[in-house]
Amino acid sequence: MTSSSLNLPGLPAASQLRSYRIWDAYFTPAHGHPGRDGSSQLLRDMELSEPAIQKGQFEKLCYFPHVGLGTTTDADLEQRLRAHPQLVMVPFERWPDRLLGMIQVNAHDVPRSREAIRRWIQDGPMIGAYFPGGGPAAMTCTHRNVALLVEAVVSAGGVIMQHTWYKTGGKQGPGESTPAELAELARHYPEHSFICAHAGGEWEQGIRAIRGEKNVLIETSGFDATAGFLERAVRELGANRILFGSHLPSRSLGTELGKVLGAELTEADKQRILGTNFRQLLQRDET
Amino acid sequence: MSGSHHARGGVLVMKRRALLKQALGTGVLLPLTGPGATPVPCLAEASENVPWEIVDTNASLFAWPFRRLPLDTAGKIVAKMRALGICSAWAGSFEGILQRDITGVNARVAETCNEYPELTPIGTLNPSLPDWRADLRRCAEEHHMPGIRLYPGYHGYTLGESRFQDVFEQVAGRNLFLQIVVSLEDPRTQPEWLQVRDVDPLPLRSLLQSTPAARVQLLNARPRGGMLTELASVPGLYWDTARLEGTAGVPELARGLPPGRVLFGSHAPFLLPEAALIRVHESNQLSEQELREVYASNARRFLRSPA
Repeated sequence: MTSSSLNLPGLPAASQLRSYRIWDAYFTPAHGHPGRDGSSQLLRDMELSEPAIQKGQFEKLCYFPHVGLGTTTDADLEQRLRAHPQLVMVPFERWPDRLLGMIQVNAHDVPRSREAIRRWIQDGPMIGAYFPGGGPAAMTCTHRNVALLVEAVVSAGGVIMQHTWYKTGGKQGPGESTPAELAELARHYPEHSFICAHAGGEWEQGIRAIRGEKNVLIETSGFDATAGFLERAVRELGANRILFGSHLPSRSLGTELGKVLGAELTEADKQRILGTNFRQLLQRDET
Repeated sequence: MSGSHHARGGVLVMKRRALLKQALGTGVLLPLTGPGATPVPCLAEASENVPWEIVDTNASLFAWPFRRLPLDTAGKIVAKMRALGICSAWAGSFEGILQRDITGVNARVAETCNEYPELTPIGTLNPSLPDWRADLRRCAEEHHMPGIRLYPGYHGYTLGESRFQDVFEQVAGRNLFLQIVVSLEDPRTQPEWLQVRDVDPLPLRSLLQSTPAARVQLLNARPRGGMLTELASVPGLYWDTARLEGTAGVPELARGLPPGRVLFGSHAPFLLPEAALIRVHESNQLSEQELREVYASNARRFLRSPA
């Protein structure tokens, strides 16, 4: 077996994977904390992910940088990121042709988050904003503060990724959001697209909750490789409302890419899910 | 099912067992006639495209209780196995999770596995039910099953209880292996009205230390906290790969255990077998030899002999 191939019977060859042009919408190196210096843990996780990224033949990966908005509990780090914003760019310098970014915003700090949206999204190079479901920045997406930030992101031309879960037994934190809550938010902005990260985790309810809101797309990572998920999602939503996410390295390539490769879908639908939809959302050149 | 059918099935099972034994000895599964007649790609056909023999130690037959699954018939799951180069799968029954007719559950597994040379039937026991010893006897003597699968979380007991210890001793006494289903799905996605905690495997320490010939495999375990440290040195305890997570989840588990303790498992058809296959090798941290061991060699050793 070569290091850059899945090379098992019944799985696509490297050339087939390359033809999918995989754009990963949910790459999570050091998702909660990039390292005290602002990047060391992040870079280690990127390296750890490298074999899987090569085997999957990914073209691009979107991750969620902390930019000093209080999205971690490390006050020193937050101060360092504010004082030295160039630290945010370290991973992009490491993988200049591969990495995309959606900044993690903090709805508990609207003024600073708005400023960051202007600085990092409107002026570039970030493509959108990530609304976390846990940690100090989590806020249920039906809160008015979230709407204020959504409007800022829309104005800046960015995309919106909202972490969502339906957890048996209820929310594990007061700032978590469910797909139904995201659908409620999205209803107010019918011209803008919202990404429902993890399809709600418990995707049977998640798909039902957002299926009526045509401007809500689901992202596929963050839960076990449960069979039947994508077949149901394509049936209920259509393949053009589904974005592939890897959740590497805290989840496995097998779990996340396997969801698409193992699903009973047409090749055209797999291609849409693995990359075309994300590129279209970002209005990126297909070539 | 009639008694004569049982007897006929038993003969067929014995014939199939003999063929499988021969196949396992040579590393080649033989083409058979009948419903499962397609030759299975195994070691004899290994090439750059079929690099390894693959044994799935954690598959199940029949309907998942809570929704339809794409591979929830034996024909479909076997066709998928063939497409993916999986030579052999140890098949329990999803029917055994909630149904009380365990005798019928095991008979259907045995009968279905008899139709497909790739499938090895694994019996279900529910020690919360009266007369479970008769089910064990049938599994061993009539169905010639090599192992027993338990669902303690769904059948309402812990591994610290005497009824489990009784099962453990009886199963070991028959030189069968035991598979303990630690979880079936993420607790966060279970139905609200049927929430089942992961099984605590720590009571196995003393049981396995006092019964060195016993073989136990934990299925769908996701080691957390100090669990692995506590269990790493326990003799006769094996793990599967079905619900490991992280891009390096499999090598991390293998490094934390004595050699030979990690067996490939997919938890198909609830989980996608493609996911399990990729997960084993995606990090490039296991050598070719280690990959061969995880995909099949460890399972064959576990199947054949006491620890």
